[in-house]
Amino acid sequence: MGKITRRPTKPLQVNPFRLTQPMGAALAFLGIDRCMPLMHGGMGCTSFTKVFLTRHFCEPIAIQTTAVTDVTAVLDGGDGSIVEAVANITKKVTPSLIGLHSTGLTETKGDDLRGVATQVDYPLVYVHSTDYEGGLESGWGKTTKALIEQLVEPTSRTRTDKVVLLPHVSLTPIEVEKVKDFIALFGFEVHALPDLSTSLDGHLGEKQSALSNGGISVETIKGLADAALVISVGASMQPSAAALLKKNSEIRHRHCAHLQGLEATDQLVATLLEANGREKPPASVIRWRKRLQDAMLDSHFSLGQTRVLLVGEPDFLAGAGQVLSEAGTKITLAAATVDSPQLDTIPADEVMVGDLEDAEARQANYDLIVGNYHTEALAHRCNKGLVLRGYPNWEIVGNQLKNDLLYEGGAYFLCEVANAAETMRAAPH
Amino acid sequence: MAQKPKIRELLDESACAHNKNKKSACNAPTPGATTGGCAFEGAQISLFPYADAAHLVHGPMTCVGASWETRLTHTRWPGRDLTQMGFTTGISTNDVVFGGEEKLRQAIDYIVKHYAPEAVFVYSTCVTAMIGDDIDAVCRQAEQTHGIPMVPVHAPGFVGSKNLGSRLAGEAVLTHLIGTREPENTTPFDINLIGEYNVTGDMWQYTPLLEELGIRVLSTLSGDGRVANIRSAHRANLNVLVCAKSLISLPRKMQERYDIPFISVSFYGKRDTSASILAIATALGDAELIERTKKLIAREEDILDKKLAPYRKVFQGKKAVLNTGGNKSWSIASALQDLGLEVVATSVKKATEADKEKAREYLGEKGILMTNPGQEQAKIIDETGAHLLLAGGRSLFTAIKKKIAFADVNQEKKKSYGGYGGLINLAEDLKNSLQNPVFNNVARRAPWEK
Repeated sequence: MGKITRRPTKPLQVNPFRLTQPMGAALAFLGIDRCMPLMHGGMGCTSFTKVFLTRHFCEPIAIQTTAVTDVTAVLDGGDGSIVEAVANITKKVTPSLIGLHSTGLTETKGDDLRGVATQVDYPLVYVHSTDYEGGLESGWGKTTKALIEQLVEPTSRTRTDKVVLLPHVSLTPIEVEKVKDFIALFGFEVHALPDLSTSLDGHLGEKQSALSNGGISVETIKGLADAALVISVGASMQPSAAALLKKNSEIRHRHCAHLQGLEATDQLVATLLEANGREKPPASVIRWRKRLQDAMLDSHFSLGQTRVLLVGEPDFLAGAGQVLSEAGTKITLAAATVDSPQLDTIPADEVMVGDLEDAEARQANYDLIVGNYHTEALAHRCNKGLVLRGYPNWEIVGNQLKNDLLYEGGAYFLCEVANAAETMRAAPH
Repeated sequence: MAQKPKIRELLDESACAHNKNKKSACNAPTPGATTGGCAFEGAQISLFPYADAAHLVHGPMTCVGASWETRLTHTRWPGRDLTQMGFTTGISTNDVVFGGEEKLRQAIDYIVKHYAPEAVFVYSTCVTAMIGDDIDAVCRQAEQTHGIPMVPVHAPGFVGSKNLGSRLAGEAVLTHLIGTREPENTTPFDINLIGEYNVTGDMWQYTPLLEELGIRVLSTLSGDGRVANIRSAHRANLNVLVCAKSLISLPRKMQERYDIPFISVSFYGKRDTSASILAIATALGDAELIERTKKLIAREEDILDKKLAPYRKVFQGKKAVLNTGGNKSWSIASALQDLGLEVVATSVKKATEADKEKAREYLGEKGILMTNPGQEQAKIIDETGAHLLLAGGRSLFTAIKKKIAFADVNQEKKKSYGGYGGLINLAEDLKNSLQNPVFNNVARRAPWEK
């Protein structure tokens, strides 16, 4: 491992790519079926989030706001606007759950969400998600933990065929589905929490509901504690797994730092074989492993001469860094949104928490960028290759259908990056 | 403190037509039933297009993290386009507890040192307004240190809507920039364009025509704008408010303070573009200029009509239902009519009384003004036999169910629909929508559906 800078060193951020906890919280609630995420803050916090996610997914996004004003910010402890918001929402629609999450504004005035929750006579989960701490990843993680703590019913029984998957925020809807299907191939019933694979996967629905359209149901969440195995993916999901174990100490927990590349997928397969007691995985899994091996060899020549800047959430950086470096890519710089224990596992020469100005200052160190929409201008300005990944991604369609995980997605991803590197080298500078 | 704008006064805008019969203040959002952006976003939209100025957002990350590089406000500023950059103090828990002024001061120093902007706009946000950071004082000191304008913008999100934020941005410009510099020269035909942000280059569809007429755009707020020019805006002969009633306080105050008259115009569609150009010439009051303008309009309409001829065949007899908000309910309707489409219905759900009147005027007696478009539009499509639905993404399925073409009016547009030239872009896009078989193909029944 190389040098790690855990804190920004400047008094400001220039061209920032850090996203915030309320957005991560809202996104997690959108992975619950017929949920209404309710952001407790000014209406702009919600509006920005809504527009941001709508553009990323090309889908209508369900979310509401408590619309805190300068007056209520002073006079109301949050109870007034939250209770009123719930009343107004339920006048029009009947959500299965209200996902109450706070913002910097309401955390600054110190609203007591827990106290307010007791005044609301409606299914509601609350989470403190200020935007001046953490980021998208921790907002998502905290919300998952809150969902488990506040909804899951404790039990001491387990069902040997039931698995709970806790995916980190950077997994796309299709990636969540691929992991669920992969685990199911080993004979398990799998439930993902949150589950974007059936809500924001970009499916044409009959009704464009005002609520989240798909995702794990509240009933299913309540019954998660009888799973035999919980698999957390990404450091941000460790606390959620711990919360689930508190509901039933009989559950076994396997943690995966990520699910990208040959080694990580092998470990998952080993875990699943151990759990189902079989000798070998299904034939399709064996076949995809061979395809990944082949893709690693086919792409290694290009990747072996490519120096990459990775930009994104810590859990994403760990996975993308691993699969690329397995084929010999030199990850010269990884730029993380926030600090995380995951930073220690990223196979990069340098890991930093910072902004795109910092990344630009090190432009001599890399040839190709894997990052979000905001890295596009950087790539153009500095003549770098580009593979778009992460939130937000506004310029291309099909973000929800990108799969980089496991043997299959790894093969696609390595080919895509190698091809982008060759296109870049062929382009006149 | 005396420099801070008075919000109540701004909400009570005497130049607003709807002011007299308004039941409550414009900016009281309902918890749980509110959509739309905040005052900060409005301020940002109004001022960010100054590409030679840095825009420093003093607040937590959501405010700019989710919003920079989102608007295609083009500029010809030859330096680095600061419009497409995000600057924020990104305040932390520590700043919330101990105050963020020192960080703000350092951030300004950093920006001046590394990016040499012509000015720095400093935006307060909900959190920094609540913790009471004195951005006025910081700006005053920084202005003395660095010798360039430092403009505090007091539009924290929670004070109200986007409209109010735009107004507050106008206040900041009026207080801190306008009248602080004399122009190098003046002409009898100097105008300011207020509320034109040059999104996708809209402004450049008509400014060459103004130039040809000898009308000089002295300054803009803020499309392709320059700080130096807006500082001289007080020497213009006319303020032209473009499609933005949110900024109406600014030209009204400039009329009182500098005796500059103002007019309100729109450059969407042929009729409105022509009427607007002529209105500018008329307001400038020169008989020769008015004559020149009439000739130019005739020439441009002729060119446009020739270019539109092939499209008219495509649009002939085609009916459209329009479901959008605010002034778009009539301005887009007008443009569609100019293309030869029949607009059978438009939504007036969120429109003001004046907008409703205009919509009625454009659609005529038979036109349907929808007050609840979500419920009404499917039925209206059936009854009128409409061929095209122009609406937001939520209505997509209505079009597919009815097997008619759909165009997303809320999608971030990538090319300009403004002026005469933009109408060709709109025609091309709508032609492609109408001729695209995708809506029919998608509606195909699955083999397992009975």
